[in-house]
Amino acid sequence: MTDTDTSDAESTTTGTDSPDTILVASLAESSGKTAITLALARLAREAGDSVGYMKPKGTRLQSNVGKTLDEDPMLARELLDIDAELHDLEPVVYSPTFIEQAIRGREDSAELRTRVQEAFNSLATDHDRMFLEGAGQYDVGSIVDLTDADVADALDARVLLIAPYEVPGDVDDVLAAVDTFGDRFAGVVFNNVSDAAYDQLETDVVPYLEGRDIPVYGVIPNERELSGVTVKQLADELGATVVSENGLDAYIERFTVGAMGADSALRHFRRTKDAAVITGGDRADVHTAAIEAPGIRCLILTGGHRPSGAILGQAADRGLPVLAVQTDTLTTVERAEDVVRSGRTRDETTVARMQSLLADHADVDAVLEID
Amino acid sequence: MGRLSPLFAPETIAVVGATDRDGAVGRAILENLQAEFDGDVLAINPNRESVLGLECYPDVQQAPVADLAVVVVPPPIVLESIRALGEQGTKDIVVITAGFAETGADGADREQQLRDLAEEYDLNIVGPNSLGVMSTPVGMNATFGPESAQEGSIAFMSQSGAFITAVLDWANEQDIGFRDVVSLGNKAVLDETDFVREWGGDPETDVVIGYLESIQDGEAFVQTAREVTDETPIVLVKSGRTDAGAQAASSHTGAIAGSERAYEAGLEQAGVIRASSVQELFDYARALSGLPEPESDGVAVVTNAGGPGVLTTDAVGDSQLRMADFTDETIDRLAEAMPDEANVYNPIDAIGDADVDRFGDALEIALEDPNVGAAVVVSAPTAVLEYDKLAETVIEKRDVYEKPVITCMMGGERARAAEEVLREFGIPNYFDPSRAVSSLDTLARYRDIRERTVDEPTTFDVDRERAREILARAESRDDNRLGVESMDLLEAYGIPTPTGEIVDDPDRAHEVAKAIDGNVVMKIVSPDITHKSDIGGVKVGVEDDEVKDAYEDLVSRARNYQPDATILGVQVQEMIDLESTTETIVGMNRDPQFGPLLLFGLGGIFVEILQDTSVRVAPIGEGEAREMVDEIDAAPLLRGARGRDPADVEAIIDTIQRLSQLVTDFPAILELDVNPLVAGPDGVQAIDLRLTVDTEQL
Repeated sequence: MTDTDTSDAESTTTGTDSPDTILVASLAESSGKTAITLALARLAREAGDSVGYMKPKGTRLQSNVGKTLDEDPMLARELLDIDAELHDLEPVVYSPTFIEQAIRGREDSAELRTRVQEAFNSLATDHDRMFLEGAGQYDVGSIVDLTDADVADALDARVLLIAPYEVPGDVDDVLAAVDTFGDRFAGVVFNNVSDAAYDQLETDVVPYLEGRDIPVYGVIPNERELSGVTVKQLADELGATVVSENGLDAYIERFTVGAMGADSALRHFRRTKDAAVITGGDRADVHTAAIEAPGIRCLILTGGHRPSGAILGQAADRGLPVLAVQTDTLTTVERAEDVVRSGRTRDETTVARMQSLLADHADVDAVLEID
Repeated sequence: MGRLSPLFAPETIAVVGATDRDGAVGRAILENLQAEFDGDVLAINPNRESVLGLECYPDVQQAPVADLAVVVVPPPIVLESIRALGEQGTKDIVVITAGFAETGADGADREQQLRDLAEEYDLNIVGPNSLGVMSTPVGMNATFGPESAQEGSIAFMSQSGAFITAVLDWANEQDIGFRDVVSLGNKAVLDETDFVREWGGDPETDVVIGYLESIQDGEAFVQTAREVTDETPIVLVKSGRTDAGAQAASSHTGAIAGSERAYEAGLEQAGVIRASSVQELFDYARALSGLPEPESDGVAVVTNAGGPGVLTTDAVGDSQLRMADFTDETIDRLAEAMPDEANVYNPIDAIGDADVDRFGDALEIALEDPNVGAAVVVSAPTAVLEYDKLAETVIEKRDVYEKPVITCMMGGERARAAEEVLREFGIPNYFDPSRAVSSLDTLARYRDIRERTVDEPTTFDVDRERAREILARAESRDDNRLGVESMDLLEAYGIPTPTGEIVDDPDRAHEVAKAIDGNVVMKIVSPDITHKSDIGGVKVGVEDDEVKDAYEDLVSRARNYQPDATILGVQVQEMIDLESTTETIVGMNRDPQFGPLLLFGLGGIFVEILQDTSVRVAPIGEGEAREMVDEIDAAPLLRGARGRDPADVEAIIDTIQRLSQLVTDFPAILELDVNPLVAGPDGVQAIDLRLTVDTEQL
C-alpha cells in the first residue's frame, strides 16, 4: 500500500470486509503451484473459512468445446465446489492469439486490469479468503502490464512464492522475485526438493534467507506421486488406446525412441530408467527389447498399429503396459514430452497429498496468517 | 529313459475333449491314436456317450487314470481339466489348445496359471498351443497332423507345429524315420532343454534335431547340451538370424531375438551343430544317425568324372576336412588296378569307361589307406556303369571298412533306384558334391566335439561385498550407468588399474599428482560426456606444478561444451607407457537368452572398424579365455610381431577370467566395457570402465 497502484486497487476492490487474498506465484512452470494453491484453499476451508479461487491469467490452455481455456480453474471449480463462471475464474486467456493482439496494440492494459478486478469482485463476494493462482512463471504478462506483481497490486494480495531448488545458485532467482514483489511478498515455499538437495537447503540456504528477512514457510520434499506422470495419466493425455494394461501405475520420467536394430535397441533401453519407448507398431524386435529392459516402464506404439498377440502376452507377463496412438513417432514424442514436462497430476488425490505434505513440511498457519 | 519317459511310452492315453465332429482337432487326435497306438485310449467328453467306437467318459474324475493326457478342450476349461488330471495323478500332459500367451494379456494370465498348476501338481506339460507329440516305438501319434512318422532313431522338436507337418510329409517320402517328435508350442513348462536332456539319456536316440526361434534359458541349455553332446549329437536350425528374420520371430513368439553372435557362441560352446537351412538339418541328421565316425579328416574321392571330382575337391577345401595324402603303397596299388590314363592320386579318376568293378577296386584300396578317414564316391552316368550295381558295391565295401562313405551318383531318373537301395543301408546320396562333403564334415565336427574337454572356471579370491556396494551406487543415478569413478569394482575383482584418484578440487589434485612418480594424466569424469578427448577433457603428461591449472581448464572446458553435464570430478592418474603397450578391449553384454557374452579384441580401429573380436558365453575357464585371445586376427600383434615386445598374454587371460567371474556373480551387470585394457610386457592395466547395472537385481 505504498504506491499509487495500490490506492487504485483499493478503490475498486472495496468492500468493508474484503477477503484475505493470497496470490501463489512461482519462479518456474510446473513447480506445483496449482496443487499448492488448491491445497491451501482446502486447508483454509477445513478450518472453517469460506474460500474462493481465481486464476487471473490462464496459461495451461486446453481446448474445451471449441473454446480455449485453462485446465486449472476447471479443477478448482470441481475441488472447491465453486459455482462460478469460467470467464470470471479466468478473466484473461493468455493465449498466443491474445499476445499477438496485445503486441499489435489491440488490447488495452487499463481495460484488462478493470476486467480482472471486476471478475475478482464478483468472485470474492461472501468469501473469507481468496486464493489467486499466478501464471506459469511470475513475470508472464508484462506485455499488458499484468505480471503477477501487477495482479497482486491490483487485487491487494500478498504473495506466496513457490520455488524449486537444486543448487545454491538458485537463490539468485528467489532474491530477484522478492525484489519484484516488494512489500507484497509474504514468504517462500520450496517445493519438489530432491533428497540430495534437501539437507543443504535446510542447513545453509534457509538460515541465509531468514537472515535477509525472507520468511521460508516450508521445504517440501520431492514426491513421485506428485511430480511424476503415471502411464495411465500419459495415456489419458495422449488420447492413447491401452492395449495391455498391466503396469499402468508406473511412473514415466523420460522417453526414448526405438528406431534401431534389436541389438542396439536393447543396449540403449537398458541404459535408461523409468522411461517409455516410443516406436512403430510393426517393430516387433524393438518391442521385445523394450520388454526385456528393466528400466522401461511403458511401450507406446505409433501409427495406430497393434503388435502380435504373442508380444502382448509377453508384455502382460512382464507387467509392461502397451499404449497405441494414431499419431506418428515424432509427433508422439513431442506431445509425450510435453505431458511429462508440464507434468503434474491434476486430480483430487494430488491435491489431498499436497495438503498433507504442506501440513507436515510447511507452516500453514503462518501462510494463512492465522494467529 | 529319464523322467519324461511316460510321455513317450504311455500305456494309457486320455484324450480330454475327444469328439467325432468332422474337422475337429479332438477327432483328428483320436483317429491318429486309434490308427497305430499299442496301448489304451480313453475318450473324455461330457456331451457324448461314445466317440468313434470308444466309450466316452463324462469327465476326468470318472475315467481311469491315464499315463498321458492330451487336452483339446476350449481355452476357458483347460485349467480345470488340468487340475482334475493333477488331482488324479496323471503327470504327463500335452496341451493342444491355443489361446494362451500367444494371444495377449488374458492368454498370458492363463498361461501363468497353467505354470502354477504344473508347479503345484509336479506336471510335465507340453505346449500349450502344440501340435502334439509322437513316439514311433509305441505307435503313438498324439498330434492332429495328417502324417505319422516312420520309425527311426532321430528325435525331433520344433517350435512351429506347421513345420512338423510339412517335414513329416517330406521325410516319409525320403524314408527318414523318427523316434520321437515334439511340437513345443508356447514352452510354458517343458522347453528345449528338458527334451535335449531326455533324449540325451535315451540310448535308442542317435541324434537330436530341432527347429527353434528362441531358447528359454540359454545358460541351462548350454550346460545341458554340453553333457548331452558327449554321447548324442544335437543339430539345430535357429531361425531369426537376420534382422528381418529376428523381427518376424519376435512377432511370432513374443520373445526377444537375442544376438546372433551370442547364439553362435552359445551353441558352439554347447557342442550343438547349427544348420543354416532345413536341407542341412536333415542332411546332417541323416549322416549323424547312419554313418560311422571318421577317425581322421582325410577324405578320398573316387570318381569317373573329372569335373565333378574337382567340384568335390573344392568342397573339401572349404570344409575342415582335407584331401587325404595316399601312402605310396596305396598309389602303387591304384596304379596297378587302374588303366594308365587314370589319375591315381586323390581325387582318384577312374575315367569315363570305369565299370562297377573298377570303382569297387578303387574304393577298396582307398578305404584301406590309413590316411583316409572317409570317402566320397562321385559318378556320372555312362553306358558301362550300372548305378544299382555300383550302389551294392559301395554298401559292401563300406560294411567291411567301418569308415563313412557318401555317394554322389549324379543324375535324375537314372539315379533313383540306386538312391533307394543306398538309403535303405543308411548311405545318403546327393546330386551335389558340396552337400555330400558338408555331411562328412559334420561327422568330423561332431567327433571333435565329443573329444574336446572343457575346463572348469577358476574361482578367484575376490571382494564380492565391496563389488556389490560399488554397483549399488547406480541406484542414486538418473540412469543405470557407472563409469570410471567405479574403477574400484575392477580392483575388488583383482583386475589391475593405474594408481590415481578422482578429485573434486585443484589442491587435492596436486596432492595426488605429487604422490605419483612422474607426470600424470588428467581426465574429466562425467557420466554425461562420452567422448572426453573430443572436448579437450583429457590432458596427458601433466607436470606437478601444472596440475592445478590443468584441473581448472578441464572443468571449464567441460562446462563450456556441455553446461548441463553432471561433473563428478577430475581423475588424476599415473602415466601409462603407450609405446610398448597394446590397447585391448574386454567387455560383456548380457544376452537375453544366453546370459553374459564376453568379448575380447584389440582396441581402437580394430574393434570399431575391423570388428576383430572374439566372444564366449560366461562363465569360462582358462582354456576358453586363451582361445578368445588366440582367435582374433590381430593375435600375432600381442605375441610380439615386427620386433615389438610381446604383451603379457597370461595377464590378459587372467583378466578375462576374472571378468567372467564378476559378471557371473552379478547378474545385475547388464553390460560392461573395459576399454582400453592396456597390455604391456609386464602385465595389464584397465584404464577406463563403463557399465550398465539393473539395480533391482542387486
